[in-house]
Amino acid sequence: MAFTTTTIIDGLAAAILLTTFIAIASNRMFSLVRLFALQSVALGLLAMAVASVTGAAHIYAVAVLTLGIKGAVIPWMLLYVMEKIKTTKEVEPLVSIPLSLLLCGVLTAVAFYITEPIIFTSGTITTITKNCLAISLAVVLIGFYTMIARKKAVTQIMGLLTMENGLFLAAISVTYGMPMIVELGIFFDILVAVLIMGLFAFRINKTFDSVDTTILRRLHD
Amino acid sequence: MIEYLLLIPLIVAAICYPLRRRALVEAVAVTGSAVTLLASLMISYEVFTTGTLDEGLLYMDALSAYVLLLVSLVGLLACIYSITYLRQEMEDGEITELKLRNYYIFFQLFVFTMLLVCVSNNLGIMWIAIEGTTLASAYLVGLYDRDTSIEAAWKYLVICSVGITLALLGTIIVYASSIQVLGEESNALNWSTLWANASSLDPGLLKISFIFVLIGYGTKVGLSPMHTWLPDAHSQAPTPVSALLSGVLLNCAMYGILRYHMIVSGSPLGAGFSGGLLLLFGIISVATAAAFIIMAKDYKRMLAYSSIEHMGIIAIGFGFGGFWGIFGALFHMLNHALAKTLLFFGAGKVLQRFHTKDIDKVHGLIKVLPFTGALLLGGGLAITGCPPFSLFLSEFMIMVGGLSSQSYLGTILYILLLVIVFAAFLKHIGGMVFGEPLEEITPKERRGPDVAVMGVLLVAILALGLYVPGFLNEVLDQIYRLFVPGGGA
Repeated sequence: MAFTTTTIIDGLAAAILLTTFIAIASNRMFSLVRLFALQSVALGLLAMAVASVTGAAHIYAVAVLTLGIKGAVIPWMLLYVMEKIKTTKEVEPLVSIPLSLLLCGVLTAVAFYITEPIIFTSGTITTITKNCLAISLAVVLIGFYTMIARKKAVTQIMGLLTMENGLFLAAISVTYGMPMIVELGIFFDILVAVLIMGLFAFRINKTFDSVDTTILRRLHD
Repeated sequence: MIEYLLLIPLIVAAICYPLRRRALVEAVAVTGSAVTLLASLMISYEVFTTGTLDEGLLYMDALSAYVLLLVSLVGLLACIYSITYLRQEMEDGEITELKLRNYYIFFQLFVFTMLLVCVSNNLGIMWIAIEGTTLASAYLVGLYDRDTSIEAAWKYLVICSVGITLALLGTIIVYASSIQVLGEESNALNWSTLWANASSLDPGLLKISFIFVLIGYGTKVGLSPMHTWLPDAHSQAPTPVSALLSGVLLNCAMYGILRYHMIVSGSPLGAGFSGGLLLLFGIISVATAAAFIIMAKDYKRMLAYSSIEHMGIIAIGFGFGGFWGIFGALFHMLNHALAKTLLFFGAGKVLQRFHTKDIDKVHGLIKVLPFTGALLLGGGLAITGCPPFSLFLSEFMIMVGGLSSQSYLGTILYILLLVIVFAAFLKHIGGMVFGEPLEEITPKERRGPDVAVMGVLLVAILALGLYVPGFLNEVLDQIYRLFVPGGGA
């Protein structure tokens, strides 16, 4: 039982990393959002698997919230924003896609290298999910990279959300998730953050007639 | 009891929502802020006299009470100042009546999130509250429909959210170190529990966690090189909001770092590890700020850089540690909040009169706006650390702290950088206050409650510089003892 569950968990973690890479490789805005939804579903299922092993009720709740909010509500909100501002369908990367993929490969290697002693040698973390720590850090780094290397306001929101997903995976892998009230608060914050950033994307679009954030260059010293 | 305090700003925001008349909204907002201050005073008095209040998720010790008082005090002052300032903005056609109401609602929500930062015991909730401050104040930063304010608000949202995401990673790691010792209990992320068990936490995990927290919350504090959002947001926000951001929001984020600093100090790592990092980032911040203050062209940006400088000074004080370092840094938090509020209020009056933020286009303030000019000059002398103002006293204490902790290189850099800032800042302020106005602007000044508030602030920093009252001394001493491992608990 434990063996198969661990396999499922590791498989889902790999799926999460894979969606992040496909998102980097894709140049369509709408598929970015769908990939984020897919990633969140994988994350929710992973939490579900962890919950079935540990039997902790709060992880079930968190899994359901992940599936509902990150898998459905937030992607729907993002698609709505994109419909409204009639953004062009291309991602418009600042760094070309092949180079981005290469860099993200390096970032993943770095993540595995950094977390290797924590996972295997130090013995401070004893969860069954500790293998996911490397992937979670890789997802956080790639999310960070997305925010830097993509122009559009909505892609920056996507980068932030990817980072959040990575952190969420980190929380599950080292501590089986945060206390319930904290998880709820974090979900609330993410939801409000996406809402507010969406509103600002509207305003950027209205004021500049574009959602390209590289034109935000007026304030400097 | 603490939850009633938190409810006040929320209730005020709810009452403001259906109101349509401007005067009514203003009255409700100011009364609400006054009630918040009163309630904070009562609850803090209880904490100072009878000791820590522990209500599970909510928790208050002397440090929380101190920062709580700062938030509600500057909150009230900024609210009073907002009335005259925003009325003028409405007359000038900068904002609509609807925006004015929304402004007061978000203002109260912003104050609520900052109060929550100070009183939360659970480090996860503290994280949520700090992220909440960004979300609540983003509207205020982007209040005007100008392209520059939208740019500032977007940068503020994105940079601070990313920063704070890293702090969440730090929080998760601290939790991991905690459940090893305590098991998966509901209080395993409570600061009071972590503090009490600091000596048995895993030092390796604490180290990683502190670095992430310092970078994450340090983004919000405005520590260099994560400070890039700060000058934009401070210069584009309406002036009372700039004062609130600079005077207390930065202190709130610093408070978050201090909580982790206290845990690390109590662990086998000792105060040396986290203190050393604070000292390093503090010096870098003061140096960066000094460079930008020399080259400043926009006076609101200059004040923003000065905030980075002062947050750096506070970080340096805690980094030096020891009685004088910590006592001075705590005292400096209060002094900076008062002086920077005064300066931003003054800058707001100048902006509404001259309609430019350009330092080179503002001259002869003392003739055009005699009161504001004099108050700005006083504030300028105070913020650069001239005696007899209280900032001189606290900066001097931090220097003594540096010498007694034998970090001579740090102390020398600290003094050198302060001298540079002193010269550069006063040169700019002097050019604005004195000289002949470029164009004929009739010397007429409206004297409303805003000028009175500024006067009170200047008198306060002057009085604190001449004499530190007994109760303040007592309070700061109480907080200092929290920083000494094993001194509290």
